[in-house]
Amino acid sequence: MPTWFPRFLNPRDAAIAAGIVAPLLLLLYFLKLRRREAAVSSTLLWKKAIQDLQVNAPFQKLRRNLLLLLQMLLLLFLALAFSRPVVNYSPGAGSLTVILIDRSASMSAKDDGVKSRLDVAKAKAKEIVSSMDSNSSAAVVAFDDSAETVQAFTTDGSRLRTQIDSIQPTDRRSRLKLAYQLAEAQSTFNPNQNRAIIRPDVFLFSDGRVLDADDLRINGNVTYVPIGSENTGNIGVVSLSAKRNYEQPTQVQIFARLANFGPKPIDAQVQLSVAAIDPDKPGELNFIAKPGGFATVTLPPARWFDAKWVAEHPKQKDDNYSTRESVEFNIDLTTAAVIKVEQMNKDGDALAADDTAQVVVPPPKQLAVLHVTDGQNPYMDLALSSLNLQNVKKITPEEYAAAVPIDYDVIVFDRYSPKTLPPAGSFVYFGAYPPPDVKLQPIKEDGVVAMTSDVRVVDWKRDHPILRSLSLARVGASEAIRLKPTLDSQVLMDGVNGPLIVLHREGRGTHLVIAFDVLQSNWPLMQSFPVFMHHVIQFMAIGSEMDVRESLAPGSTPRIPRANLQRQGEPPKQLTISGPGNSVKVDIPPTGDFALPALNHVGVYTLSPPVPQFERMAVNLLSDNESNLLPITAPPGNIGQAIVTGQSTSRLELWWWIVACTGIPLLLIEWWVYTRRVHL
Amino acid sequence: MSTTTEKNSLLLDPTFMARLDQLDVISRKLLAGKMKGERRSKRRGQSVEFADYRNYVIGDDLRFIDWNIYARLDRLFLKLFLEEEDLAVYVLVDVSKSCDYGVPNKALYLKKVAAALGYVALVNYNRVNIVAMADGIVAETGPMRGRRNVSRMIDFCAKLEPTGTSLFGTAGKRFALANRQKGVLIVLSDFFDKSGYEHGLRYLAGGKYDLFCVQVLSPQEIEPDLQGDLKLKDMEDDDLAEVSITGPLIKQYKANLNAYCLGLKEYVTRRGGTYLFTSTAVPFDTLVLNYLRERGLLG
Repeated sequence: MPTWFPRFLNPRDAAIAAGIVAPLLLLLYFLKLRRREAAVSSTLLWKKAIQDLQVNAPFQKLRRNLLLLLQMLLLLFLALAFSRPVVNYSPGAGSLTVILIDRSASMSAKDDGVKSRLDVAKAKAKEIVSSMDSNSSAAVVAFDDSAETVQAFTTDGSRLRTQIDSIQPTDRRSRLKLAYQLAEAQSTFNPNQNRAIIRPDVFLFSDGRVLDADDLRINGNVTYVPIGSENTGNIGVVSLSAKRNYEQPTQVQIFARLANFGPKPIDAQVQLSVAAIDPDKPGELNFIAKPGGFATVTLPPARWFDAKWVAEHPKQKDDNYSTRESVEFNIDLTTAAVIKVEQMNKDGDALAADDTAQVVVPPPKQLAVLHVTDGQNPYMDLALSSLNLQNVKKITPEEYAAAVPIDYDVIVFDRYSPKTLPPAGSFVYFGAYPPPDVKLQPIKEDGVVAMTSDVRVVDWKRDHPILRSLSLARVGASEAIRLKPTLDSQVLMDGVNGPLIVLHREGRGTHLVIAFDVLQSNWPLMQSFPVFMHHVIQFMAIGSEMDVRESLAPGSTPRIPRANLQRQGEPPKQLTISGPGNSVKVDIPPTGDFALPALNHVGVYTLSPPVPQFERMAVNLLSDNESNLLPITAPPGNIGQAIVTGQSTSRLELWWWIVACTGIPLLLIEWWVYTRRVHL
Repeated sequence: MSTTTEKNSLLLDPTFMARLDQLDVISRKLLAGKMKGERRSKRRGQSVEFADYRNYVIGDDLRFIDWNIYARLDRLFLKLFLEEEDLAVYVLVDVSKSCDYGVPNKALYLKKVAAALGYVALVNYNRVNIVAMADGIVAETGPMRGRRNVSRMIDFCAKLEPTGTSLFGTAGKRFALANRQKGVLIVLSDFFDKSGYEHGLRYLAGGKYDLFCVQVLSPQEIEPDLQGDLKLKDMEDDDLAEVSITGPLIKQYKANLNAYCLGLKEYVTRRGGTYLFTSTAVPFDTLVLNYLRERGLLG
């Protein structure tokens, strides 16, 4: 049936109403008519006229009763309006409908500067709800990188509209797979579903910027409603990193990369500002622009690098445009602080969530390294001294065993396997292994540590921060300890007869075990060895509380180790998380690690009471995909059909046309006939 | 202004009465009156105008012997002369309930016309009797003569109230029995009598009276503005007629009305009377000053 042919949303009720009222109206006219009394001087001539005409025949009354005809017509047109005829320019709701609404970060963009894409999506979703038949049911699912059933299947249109309005935007990314799975699960277990399997009608309201478009499947009739304009401008910070130089801890290096997702190239100002953290006022952050904290970037539109777009829009790309997308700042920072990088071109920028990125920097701290050795390893001494560490202490194993030191960030055990360790810290073992209370242990044969003599490197993790950029193929040793990695262990380098470098985290300790004595290897003579040492110290320093806190993505649920909770004595029973716009109290379980609720919005979150390493957490969007506001016109994963954008209305309700163009005129004519005494 | 004058001014205003002074009631027939008025009567009496001769009998007045005829014929003849008489004017006005209808109201209209005719007759020294009829003779002024009775006459007319049903036959018969003297008889009515107007007119159109029938209807009776489904109630006898007003019904009613009026006209004119139809929409002064003069009642 062509879409221009009206369909009736409420035919049954309209037919019932017409079937009851129309006969009643006729019955009233057949029955004794209501007559009002009128005085006349004499009925002499009236009775004669009546007699002459015989106007009391019932069918003659009906035939000539214009008022009855008009009232019947009015009744029929009202019944027609009651049946709610609609002409659909686009598909309306079927008997089983699932409405998926994208609430990710990109949906907060305001294409017209007034309404966000989420507002537009909600309005269009409510139109679909209004097109439901009286027997249709629908469900609503909101998604970003997770999915949530906002409303299970119901026939209650007003409830659906209320729940659609309740959907709030997040700054999270978009993934559709879970939403499709949820939609399919909802319709599969719908208790109202008939025995025959009905494929649900799925309406997807999104800008199409999903990360898992290639991994989608759904059993349903998908209609994709793209939201957004291709001419919307947006500049976003898509990458930010900051680190303290552990050799000069007061210096912080900040790197940021920006991208332009609008239609035209643009020069943008980038400002660096710093908010020093006052321990007495942990919740207050006053950002101050740093001298020298301004930079300019020249950003071409990201679409210039899309071959398909360039092919479809020839001569729009300027090949001579010079690009500068990255900025770098070096600042002195002697206190804990929050660093903010912000792009300042706000005019015409549709998405605010990616205009800033922040990072939490703890106070500088001198890295304390302890070298436990018998003093016979000049290579190790040289390597450590070449790192230009501020504080490297060297003690003998006996001195260590006499008094286990607890104030060092990294302890390097050179050919010495300690029996005990400090409660927390980072430990590097060369030709040695952790104490027995650590799960990572060597293989023992008859109580003796098993060794292997064929020590050649087979493979190593080239992308691990400790081993990146290292060439280790020719490293060899005379013998190596045979290690037995556990599930918590990560093998960084494999030898012919077993792992040679293993990273193990357990409790509050991080253990890096190099299974062979460097003096019995050719490694110290290679360039990779001092570089390796540099990487090790730098990697181990991450756990030393001096490095910049990792930036979190929106939606993250940071996991707080129990050890961190216990670090300052009795763990609290409740935490207050203060973030952008609100505060939430969460209860802490009595045992085990603890995961915070999802941090859905960009900004800095503060814990109270503070938890070491989690006092402040920065959440940044830093997503090319979400910052790119160019909507995708094809359905994600090419599943389903897309509605052509630009239509002002998807559906035309005819009932009010019927009332306005026929009902009201009929009423006026009836009034006129009654008052003007029009006769047939 | 006195109370009587005030009441009089409700029916007839002084300006209109001044215009009525110039009119007189005209009768086509010369009728004998009881007193010497300003009319020629057929009765032979004493006056200066010679009318006829008759043979002398012993006892006749010797002054009226025509001695010229005796000289020629040697016989005695007596001269007879015409005698002037007054004109009896009867106004028979319908005060049945059916007249209390319409806008303008028929009853008020009839009273005004009756008062106007009575005034004209009185100021011309005619003998006037205003008689109110419904289901019989309801009231009458009795014979009046002269200008001094104008106020009484008008007052009588003003106090007339619609009452009773229309029984024209009974009223006509009683009038004819009570008023034997010939004269001009003006009947003011709607002539809506369910027993028929013929019965009453038979007594009135018999030659004794110079009959003028003025049928007065309201615009609502001539062009009914009724609509819808109605229960028509007769104002006189509460008779009910259930109708559904339609075009054909209205058309038939008008046809019946037209036939009724024509029938009445034919009946009256066939019996030597004069018929006049009017509507209360016509100003009553126009009726009196124009139409009644045209029809020969006033002059």
